[in-house]
Amino acid sequence: MRTGSIKTMDYESDEQHLATPTDEKVQQWITCLEQVAARQDIKAFAALFEHFSPMIKSFAYKVPALEQADSFADELLQETMLKVWTKAASFDPKLASPSTWIFTIARNMRIDLLRKQARHVVNNVPLYKDGDDDEIDLEDIWFEDENSDLFNHLAQQRSRKQIHDSLLTLPAEQTEVLAKVYLEDKSHAEVAAELKLPLGTVKSRVRLALNKLKLVVDR
Amino acid sequence: MKNIIPMVKYHPDARFLTDYAAGSLPASQALCVATHLHYCALCRQKNRELTELGAELFMQLQPAEVDHSEFERLVARIAVVPVNQPAKTRQAQVVSILPTAINKLANGNLEQLEWRRIGNNLRVANLNLGDQQRETSLLSIKAGGHVPHHRHKGDEITVILKGSFSDHEDKYSTGDFIVRTRGETHRPVASQDQDCLCLSTLDAPIVMSNWLLRIGLYLYNLAAAPQRRQA
Ligand SMILES: [Zn+2]
Repeated sequence: MRTGSIKTMDYESDEQHLATPTDEKVQQWITCLEQVAARQDIKAFAALFEHFSPMIKSFAYKVPALEQADSFADELLQETMLKVWTKAASFDPKLASPSTWIFTIARNMRIDLLRKQARHVVNNVPLYKDGDDDEIDLEDIWFEDENSDLFNHLAQQRSRKQIHDSLLTLPAEQTEVLAKVYLEDKSHAEVAAELKLPLGTVKSRVRLALNKLKLVVDR
Repeated sequence: MKNIIPMVKYHPDARFLTDYAAGSLPASQALCVATHLHYCALCRQKNRELTELGAELFMQLQPAEVDHSEFERLVARIAVVPVNQPAKTRQAQVVSILPTAINKLANGNLEQLEWRRIGNNLRVANLNLGDQQRETSLLSIKAGGHVPHHRHKGDEITVILKGSFSDHEDKYSTGDFIVRTRGETHRPVASQDQDCLCLSTLDAPIVMSNWLLRIGLYLYNLAAAPQRRQA
């Protein structure tokens, strides 16, 4: 399932998959989440599962050098979708789209599982003190932004479309770095070490990509 | 660029914001970014956009095969798991002075942390984030006091939680995210009007320029080491 060499991302070739989700489609997932929240609707949950679980598993397989990748992918899928079920009531379409919300849960869950694995393997100083009161919750560090102060739904949708379209036009070396950072759980510094590039080069590739995507621009 | 919160002047660069949104930033540095976000609406917006980018890349992944039994297993689990109640009233408007993560690390009371004194003006409390390569701590600098002159062996991130300080380059205040790279020396001084509280994380231990202080720290660490091993 995983390929050794990664030139760019494993984009799926068929056009259907690459199309930006239409407002209608987004609305459908919002409704599903609302039904899960309101009346624990299994059918709605099944629809969400069907759509998102292949990505969640794929996201798990992206972590390099995993031992027992299959069981890790399985666990990530189970834990992420379980969270989707239990937390559906806190989903707010005014704050995030369904795919962003689910990506965020999968991302946090992956960090959590990887840390637990590292704790298991390294077996020295515990990362978090189990069951202790001052244990820090990952979700306090990677928190859900509940301030809608600057939130502009339309702008959000436009930026999503912008991101989607411009991603396809990025040079391969920029896409490669973005994919490593976002999907393979590597920081800029780790990407630089892996590609044997100076940190500055990795930084500037990301910056060029972000510029093109009209995202964060450093002052 | 619009100045949304004029007092925050130093922001994490694209590298830190991207790694944070991607979840690949080490927890100690991520805590610094999260702390900055607590004070900076501008970066919160950027973080939102960078998370969107992550979601977009995520949705473009080659779908993996999922067996139907996996859904059945999930259904068996959700039958017995309690569901979170909807958040009734969002407390978005009640902005706590300190970020949630810091409050929790301190159990809601900063004084409960184990503070140690370094010189007359500085108190330090280590935070355990399980990051073996970095040392993360809260620093409390007395009003008008200075941090001993020090040189960095690794990179250091400082975020101001309360008050302000200055060094030879500028004056920094609440929310500012300041990065010092390896080899730089500096000597921050807290402003006169109030104590300054900072969160700081460094890649490798600091070298104090003052040899006496270095010996003091060495002795302190010797004394503290067995205790820490037990914890
Ligand atoms: Zn900022």
